Amino acid sequence: MNRWLTRRWPALHWPSIRGRGRTDAGPLLLTATVIGAVTLLAGAVPALLGAAADNAVQDTVHRAGTDSNVLVHANWERDDGPTGGRVRMPRLGEELDDFRARATDALGPDLDAALLPPVTAVNGPILNITDGSVPRTFQFTYLAGDLGGPDVAWIAGSPPGPAVSDEYVEIPYDGPPWPVQVGLSEPDATALNLGPGDRIPVKDGQGRDKDVRISGIYRPADSADPAWRLAPALLRPVPGADGVGTTRFAGLLSRESLPDARLAVDEDQLRRTVHFAPAPDALTWDATAALASQVVKLKAASGSSSDRGQALKWESQLDTVLRDARARNSAASAQAAVLLAGVLAATVLVLLLAADLLVGRRTPVLSAARQRGAALPDLGAELIIESTMVSLSAAAVGLALARAVAPGVSWTWAVPVVLAGAVAGPALGTRAAARASRDRRQPANPAARRWIRATGQLRRAAVEAAVLIAAVAAFVTLHQRGLLPVAADDGTGELTGDLILPISALTLGALVGALVLLRLLPLGARFALRQALRSRRPLAVFSAAQAATTAGRALPLLVLVSTTALASFALILGSTVTRGLTDGAWSAVGADARLDVSADAEAATPALAERVAAAPGVGQVVVAQVTDSARVFADSTLLTPRLVVVDAAAFQRLLASTALPDAPALARLTAPGPGDVPALVRSSDGALRTGTRLQLPRDDDQAPAIRLTAVGTAPSVGGATDVVIVDAAALADAGLPAVPNTVWVTGSGAARAVSNTGVAADVVLRADVLRAQRVAPLTAGLLRLAWTAAAVLLALGLLGLTLAAAAGASARWQTLTRLRTLGLRPRDVRWVAAGELLPPVVVAAVCGPLLGALLARLTLGPLDLRLLTGQAADPATVLPWWLLGLVSVALLAAAATVVPVESALRRRDRLSEVLRAGE
Amino acid sequence: MSGEPLLRVRGVHRRFRTGPTVVHALRGVSFDVAAGSMVALVGRSGSGKTTLLNVIGGLDRPDAGSVHVDGTDVTTLDEDGLSRLRREKVSYVFQSFGLIPVLSAAENVAAPLRMARVAPTERERRVELLLELIGLADHARQRPAELSGGQQQRVAIARALAASPRLLLADEPTGQLDAETGLSVMALLRGIVESEGVTVLVSTHDTVMMALADRVIRIHDGHLDEQAAEQPYAPVPDAG
Repeated sequence: MNRWLTRRWPALHWPSIRGRGRTDAGPLLLTATVIGAVTLLAGAVPALLGAAADNAVQDTVHRAGTDSNVLVHANWERDDGPTGGRVRMPRLGEELDDFRARATDALGPDLDAALLPPVTAVNGPILNITDGSVPRTFQFTYLAGDLGGPDVAWIAGSPPGPAVSDEYVEIPYDGPPWPVQVGLSEPDATALNLGPGDRIPVKDGQGRDKDVRISGIYRPADSADPAWRLAPALLRPVPGADGVGTTRFAGLLSRESLPDARLAVDEDQLRRTVHFAPAPDALTWDATAALASQVVKLKAASGSSSDRGQALKWESQLDTVLRDARARNSAASAQAAVLLAGVLAATVLVLLLAADLLVGRRTPVLSAARQRGAALPDLGAELIIESTMVSLSAAAVGLALARAVAPGVSWTWAVPVVLAGAVAGPALGTRAAARASRDRRQPANPAARRWIRATGQLRRAAVEAAVLIAAVAAFVTLHQRGLLPVAADDGTGELTGDLILPISALTLGALVGALVLLRLLPLGARFALRQALRSRRPLAVFSAAQAATTAGRALPLLVLVSTTALASFALILGSTVTRGLTDGAWSAVGADARLDVSADAEAATPALAERVAAAPGVGQVVVAQVTDSARVFADSTLLTPRLVVVDAAAFQRLLASTALPDAPALARLTAPGPGDVPALVRSSDGALRTGTRLQLPRDDDQAPAIRLTAVGTAPSVGGATDVVIVDAAALADAGLPAVPNTVWVTGSGAARAVSNTGVAADVVLRADVLRAQRVAPLTAGLLRLAWTAAAVLLALGLLGLTLAAAAGASARWQTLTRLRTLGLRPRDVRWVAAGELLPPVVVAAVCGPLLGALLARLTLGPLDLRLLTGQAADPATVLPWWLLGLVSVALLAAAATVVPVESALRRRDRLSEVLRAGE
Repeated sequence: MSGEPLLRVRGVHRRFRTGPTVVHALRGVSFDVAAGSMVALVGRSGSGKTTLLNVIGGLDRPDAGSVHVDGTDVTTLDEDGLSRLRREKVSYVFQSFGLIPVLSAAENVAAPLRMARVAPTERERRVELLLELIGLADHARQRPAELSGGQQQRVAIARALAASPRLLLADEPTGQLDAETGLSVMALLRGIVESEGVTVLVSTHDTVMMALADRVIRIHDGHLDEQAAEQPYAPVPDAG
């Protein structure tokens, strides 16, 4: 020791290092393989998740549609004339261009780069068409982009022109309605039965006539032009846009007729808005925080401009959409981190086991070296050099492979594995060498023996208490804080320090479970031994004794239980997400297939349903009128739930034939009774609940609103959180017959039956929705990781079993050989060996999956899986018992193989050699 | 100590091959041991003591020669025959005790009796007797970890005697004990020879231990260098 203290560097004996490396090439190679494989996984996953995050952001924004647009409004310059009237402003188009340019400048460079060129929309008020008995509304709209409005071909008449040719016109406020020219689309014109030169009979909300004239009929050059999405009624009539049973029509203004449109309505009734749609390809995960922040700033700035000037007023859900995307990405990162932490912890345990095996093989050599005078620091340094070289080179290979298969590589997660690989062997080896120079005799003094035992027990209890406290803290943090970053707009997507504890909850829980079993196994083994001692079968006694002797070995049980528990958790996670996606698809579509019939084909819906029902393989066919954002009043509060008008009995049968939850409350919709129309309600914020009285306004202002009473909870329809369901017959009796626009179809032939109906309708297939959800970047990535983690953990468990068997083989065969000196027959040896090997395996095979299921119950909630499955609520935990059973069977089969193989190999050993090795 | 010897070793050779090197552990060893005697096998480390004990007990097979124990040629027995031999005639005491840690002292002693399927009442009687013999009757329920090294070795000796073997082979039984405890263990063995009539062949290099033997057989580099004990055994009053 003194010699060591006087030296600056350890005296390394390189031939010993090389010799040990050659002798133990097998275990070292195994260690390197484990480190390399897990480093590959740990290095690739973060990079793959990063790449998936960009795709996920773009996917989320794409799915959000117009909700992710950035809108900016501004008041018009006042048009007060010098004589107290209103002045026609012929250069209104140029003012719009200026407004659009101001809005674009205000975006800032980052947001501007992430958005498509703007489209300006000018909308008039909603006017009522007075002709005909069916409620219809009308709105005139002007669309313009940097390069003009969307192209149209005038198939009759001409583009709208100015009402007057004079440059300056001032009209009195109370004058006759100012004429304005608009163009109509073909479907609108056909539905209204009007043509060029005709006047559209419209009145405003105050009942004042408006002079709207048709200049021509147009056909869009490209009906997919994004600009049309801002005013779909410009392409065709839109049902339900202004209430149940109404249809909206629209007229297209031109740059020339725009000044007339302003004069045709009250001064502040013509609204101008610039729409910026996101450019999905320009959105990346890294940019989301800055973009969301910029949108929030713009909205906050507009909030303070309450004056009637021309200040820009911003409106957008893009920040919320981006925050949702960030939340999903953060959730996926955290979920992946939870799985990775489990894999890494299991790997560290396996590496400790491998180090234990290696040191067991080297103990004689190290002891001899120590007894010959080798200093412990020298031996430790030699072992560290060897293990560091092995670990670092294996990690380098793993990271290189990760770089080859992933768009990047992250080394952070590989650190614990490399550290464990580099440190475990030298630490255990140095301890073994130190023991060689220590007096190993059992103290004769009973008090000294008790002290040694108590010290060991205290040390172990301290470690267990530390793990338990950490696990409790982790679970409390996980449930109280969750796994999402506190500030959604902060951070770079990397996991922050405050997440380490909750992310470790699963792993710590598995370790605690394993430690509990480690305490229980010796008790069970001793109980079995007591029972065996009462029997007359010597094999039972010796097997039980062997089991009880080795039941306290910590590492094998920790490895087996934690790997099986964590593998089971990964399987449960994967199965839960898979089932969640399936349930989500059922919920989104409502059946195997759904037809969303276009407005101009609604009349054909009942016939269409009959035709579909007659197709082969079709089960249930149900038609309904589904209106999104229907206007419903509850205690004078306007609510906008999804209104579903459907044959309640047929809908109940439909639900019963699908995987969707049954809704027995539907029967209450058809129960006879006087008074209000019964309705089922569902809302996310509790605004709609059983007993609530509702009013469903009709567009005909003269007709009284239909009174509804909520009589139960509605099932979710199409994934909507706010739903009102009414029986079609009951509503018809109340005076509002339904106009079905949705057809739900179930059965194996549903997809084929709805694919070629010959009716203008959007076909939504459950299989397509499910497929789209499954291939969504984050969902697919997490599922792949869950299955991979399960496989890796199972492989680690099997490797752990083999290593545990190998590490304990020497001592086990010493014992077995001693038993043979007492007369144990060779053929009975394997049963006694099984007594040692099987208990931890059986415990892991039985308790591991159960522990995994328990951990899933405790942790899946805070993991926010609904963010990936697209469900309104977290998916119910799915326990894939056959998969969990496979884990157990694999473990038991491996043990059943190890025992006879080891017996066969050891049978060749001479008893004398085994005994001599143990001396 | 007269008549047919209990142990007859004739011309035993044993070689070990370590890579290209061949080590001659035993070179034509021959000797007899009379029943009811205690013989000390003495030699330096690597002289062949343990190899000879292993060959005699059937734990190892000689390359040449024969070993007869109580009339049975050990070298011709198959594994089952050797197991039977160990259950009925030959038992061992090792330097490292080899007790089953989770069993009490009494249960350890009973292990060979269980192996021989002795009836429980007879087993308990025999265990009680043996624990009395080794002076650990009060420690019957204690586990090895609760016993000192000397006590553990006494339990190991009791276990070796449990099945009433004809020959007890003890390989450095005092190697892990201090001198005083080692002497008491050897004295115990001496007493057992007297009381049980068992034949004991014990390897040792402790001259004090040799003094307790009826006879000393010296082994050097695989050769036997036999000579009678200089002094005949004299009972040690405080032994046991």
